[in-house]
Amino acid sequence: MSNLKVNIAGVEFKNPIITASGTFGFGREYDRFYNIEELGGICTKGLTIRPKLGNPSPRIAESYGGMLNSVGLQNPGVDHFLQKDDIYLSKRDLVVIANVAGSTLEDYIAIAEKMNDSQSDMVELNISCPNVKEGGMAFGVLPKSVERVTSAVKKACPNKPVITKLSPNVACIADNARAAESGGADAISLINTLSGMAVNYKTRKPILFNNNGGMSGPCVKPVALKMVWDCYNAVKIPIIGLGGITSYTDVLEFMICGAKAVQVGTYNFNNPYGARDIARDLANYVEQNDMDINDLVGTLILNK
Amino acid sequence: MASLKDRVGVITLNQEVAKDIFKMVLQFDDLPEDIKGGQFAHVKLNDKSHILRRPFCICDYDMSAKTVTLCYAVVGDGTRVLSSYAVGEKVDVILPLGNGFAPDKNVKKVVLLGGGMGSAVLPAIPTSNPDLDYYTYLGFANKDRVVLEEEMAKVSKQLTVATDDGSYGKKGFITNVLAEDMDRLKPDVVFCCGPEVMFKALKNALEPFDVPIIVSLEARMGCGVGACLVCNCKVKRKGEEENYVRVCIEGPVMKLDEVVL
Repeated sequence: MSNLKVNIAGVEFKNPIITASGTFGFGREYDRFYNIEELGGICTKGLTIRPKLGNPSPRIAESYGGMLNSVGLQNPGVDHFLQKDDIYLSKRDLVVIANVAGSTLEDYIAIAEKMNDSQSDMVELNISCPNVKEGGMAFGVLPKSVERVTSAVKKACPNKPVITKLSPNVACIADNARAAESGGADAISLINTLSGMAVNYKTRKPILFNNNGGMSGPCVKPVALKMVWDCYNAVKIPIIGLGGITSYTDVLEFMICGAKAVQVGTYNFNNPYGARDIARDLANYVEQNDMDINDLVGTLILNK
Repeated sequence: MASLKDRVGVITLNQEVAKDIFKMVLQFDDLPEDIKGGQFAHVKLNDKSHILRRPFCICDYDMSAKTVTLCYAVVGDGTRVLSSYAVGEKVDVILPLGNGFAPDKNVKKVVLLGGGMGSAVLPAIPTSNPDLDYYTYLGFANKDRVVLEEEMAKVSKQLTVATDDGSYGKKGFITNVLAEDMDRLKPDVVFCCGPEVMFKALKNALEPFDVPIIVSLEARMGCGVGACLVCNCKVKRKGEEENYVRVCIEGPVMKLDEVVL
């Protein structure tokens, strides 16, 4: 009997396809194209304790096989989410993962406390935001701070499984994966965007208003695959892989490298049906090969 | 919100009509019936190295022929690739997106004002609102960049073209040319599309005249459907704080006095 269901921290997904935070709003926009219940799950736009205006434009630039963004976490705030989108999404048959961000530890604790009573199934911790208390370093850079913020959020939000989303812009992502695990994370997701820059040679200025941005899209996939494999060998908790996925074969590659589920991000912009099509193609593949998708996880055969 | 569909368009024309400016006609099997002038089409290029779609205004459309016309300038790699597509080639297009121009019921006399490639927004407005009277002003940098003159002449009571260097039509900025005619025209509304500098000039030039100015904005976009929040535009509405809105959903058509330039 073929099987496409996966289970992460006790939460069952009908298939391993989740839409990545920031690329899918709160689902309403893509509901205009197809029934989002065909997806395994949705990760919401990053939420903060107070509404956030975000960065001035331009916020997006294309690069070869990818793009850079610097939205700056524009969002309506967690209270707005809890009153509107949380209720809207909870009525739908798919796993809802609330992505939360903050700029101080207190912010993370405050938002985690609110999420504890939410309808959402899981919480994803975005720790790529600047942390003034750490002297400008990001929460996601040093293993010690990854552990501290994960453990604080776990304490404040005991009702929900917590996924710590790891940044690739670090010395050793496996160390940060271990730190998230010792902080009590129920799962990790990776990779967040790679730090990059797009430049206009005529004006000699960066294209993005914020100068730097996060790079995503097919061009980052090899980096993501390697990091997923590195983390798979470092931790026991489940891994959600993401970075440049545009087809079901990409999903298979991520799962072979150790991901139990995946997120589709940038590809939604290219093909609004992208995540759904990948889920359908994957279902066909699993059926044709009469396999349990879970059997694929971490089966990479390294060359001697 | 209405449902959306990604449609396959077959290229039936992709021709350079002025220096680095192309006119593309796309043939569809079906077109949604609610297309409005000022809305846009989100066009996918046929290779994943260009992962982002390109938003183009719907220059014009023909419901009976099921065609949509785009008019675009080659400004970067994506538009260069698009300009190389041959007749018969297929592209995926999401349309119509955005709000479009919606003239009030009491509007009869409309000034259409285009600056450079912004002129590409104008032809579809008379197509969606055929009963209004149009007085059209088109401004271009120079003679080589003049486009859509013929198309706009057909649907306008009056058409005035100006170039910044005087190499074609009247000499000078089209906003000033329009300002000189305002006392005579007394339009009910001005619909405009052009670069941001033009919006600033227009605001100043038409300050003495009590006329609503509605503009169509340009923005770099990601999803084009309101999910990714990259095409933000700062607005200031009466009694509200400054805020960002999405050009793809709340725009691209907005009241000029609400846009923070």
